[in-house]
Amino acid sequence: MPPIIETHQLTKVFGSNGNAVHALRGIDLTVGEGEFVALVGPSGSGKSTLMAILGCLDSPSGGSYALAGRWVHDLSGGELARVRNEKIGFIFQSYNLLPRASVRRNVELPMLYAGLGRRERRRRADELLEQVGITDKADALPAQLSGGQRQRVAVARALANRPALLLADEPTGALDSHTGQEVLALFRELHALGNTVLLVTHDPTVAALAERQVEIHDGLVRAAGGGEGGQGAEAAAGTEGRAGAEAAAGAEAAA
Amino acid sequence: MRGNGRGAWAERFASAWTELRENLPRAVLQTLGVILGVASVVGGFSISDSQRQQANRLFVRVGGLDKLNVLPSEVIDDGSPTALQTANLGLRTADSERGRELDAKLVGGVSEQKLLRSRVRSPLADQERQVTGIGGDYLALNGYDVERGRRFSLHDMETAAPVAVIGSEAAADLFPTGEIVGRPLRIGDVPVTVVGVLREKVFRFHDGQRNLFAWRNRLVAVPATLVTRRMQGDAYRRLDRVTFRIPDLKAMVLFSRSLDSLLRASHRLQRDFRLDDVAKRVKRMMSQGDVYNVVFLLSGILALLGGGMVNVNIQMASLKDRVREVGVKMAIGASGGEIFKGFMTEALLMTVFGTCLGLVVGVVFSKVITASIGVPLAISVASFGWAAALAGAFGFLFALYPAWKASRLSPMEALRYE
Repeated sequence: MPPIIETHQLTKVFGSNGNAVHALRGIDLTVGEGEFVALVGPSGSGKSTLMAILGCLDSPSGGSYALAGRWVHDLSGGELARVRNEKIGFIFQSYNLLPRASVRRNVELPMLYAGLGRRERRRRADELLEQVGITDKADALPAQLSGGQRQRVAVARALANRPALLLADEPTGALDSHTGQEVLALFRELHALGNTVLLVTHDPTVAALAERQVEIHDGLVRAAGGGEGGQGAEAAAGTEGRAGAEAAAGAEAAA
Repeated sequence: MRGNGRGAWAERFASAWTELRENLPRAVLQTLGVILGVASVVGGFSISDSQRQQANRLFVRVGGLDKLNVLPSEVIDDGSPTALQTANLGLRTADSERGRELDAKLVGGVSEQKLLRSRVRSPLADQERQVTGIGGDYLALNGYDVERGRRFSLHDMETAAPVAVIGSEAAADLFPTGEIVGRPLRIGDVPVTVVGVLREKVFRFHDGQRNLFAWRNRLVAVPATLVTRRMQGDAYRRLDRVTFRIPDLKAMVLFSRSLDSLLRASHRLQRDFRLDDVAKRVKRMMSQGDVYNVVFLLSGILALLGGGMVNVNIQMASLKDRVREVGVKMAIGASGGEIFKGFMTEALLMTVFGTCLGLVVGVVFSKVITASIGVPLAISVASFGWAAALAGAFGFLFALYPAWKASRLSPMEALRYE
């Protein structure tokens, strides 16, 4: 089983020679299947850039990136869209729901792009909304929902195509601490069900909920530490990660 | 929605429809441009068409657009005529018969006319009047109906029977009282019997105007043969006018040409007759309203252009909204191509709806206008085609830029767009 995320010397440069900004300066990161990893770092550390690249929203300037065993660093825009659709579920700080579309339609949209039939979409959307606990709001507009409910809809939407990776960017940033705890509990629940979760946050208390923390500083991975009660899993992921890195190096040598 | 199969397009349409409903104010504003453009093309065409058809109808009723006149004409300007020129007999009944035989299907009627000024005396009146010798379908061709009595029979015309048919005003002048049919009348020295009285003919452009057809009611008609044989000493029995009615206007030019050569041949190649210039008349009739058509087409194009600009403006004004939306859609898996197709599908739907509504609005609009100026509405079907084609072209063109712009957005930038 290949790791879900495997990057090797990932770099990202904004701007040209004169005033180039090196946002990422060689990131090596491996996340195994079923892991719950927190990406922490102050603002300007490059963690948002890293998240964009890991989420296939942006392409790296250099290095390699394999998502669930597939090289994606040199894919075209259309292919990246497909990878985002099938392999990644995004959860944003500002929810990013379509404001005038109903909750159900918001959840159905990724399945629409994946080419699922209408009936199948509806069935799955209702199932997902039940899973995140807002069945009764399916026909409401996002504006009629509270922040916590909106984030739950976003989670349901992220899960729509059974992605290999859930990518959450400050998911509790816009929520009060109580609601934030509820949403984080939902993430732990999803993790317990076997989902791979990558959480981007600047908040150490949020990061502490993850199995493993990866700290980004000045475009580099500074330290990786275990979260509460996830030592075994982390160790397993670590070995797997190393094996993955070797595999990646081998693949590069072959290429 | 991946791919281009029928299912994918059905989904795309359903999705575009949902999004239009979700963004109703924007969709309505954008559709409005199309509606106005289409309505102005359809309305303009229909109004100008209605006007033209009304003008034609009036023309037919007043003078007759469908009538081709043959008149006698002087062959020589000055000097003494040649033997050949004098050998001609002029315009005669034979000419009208030849014309009818030329194309019996095309000719809707032939009338002959021979005018005479004469003393007309009834037991109650004695007047100097114009008397019209008529032949063929004169009464029918000039729209006369018999109110009392009868019209001339073929036998009357052939035998130059001493009978007369008179118009309503002439009847009132000559016989102020009593029954008219069957009473005697003396035209010059010839006694005739009135066999029919014609129904009064009335034509006004507007109510309250004087009757433009009053002169027609003064008709005193006798068989043309009676005039030529007994009232005038013309041994050749020449006519003043032969009129052919050709209901099919398009065939008229050709008919007049062949009639011209036929008559010339039978008149020993002398041009002692004159035909109406039909080609000119038909051309004028056809070109009537063309100016309006161009004007309305232009105003329609301008309206669509304006509508298109409004569309682009609305798209740009709602850009922030839309860019975020596009960013979200891209993040959850829509490719640039899919975004482009989505935008274009929405534009297509709006164009189709706008066109349909515009057609309705245009028809209603022209109905109101034509009703207010008292002209029956004639819907120009060609204008539907024009309007739809133009709206389609403009809808497509003006949708292209925003759609292309949106599809080229980078998902990251679009998501962060403020």
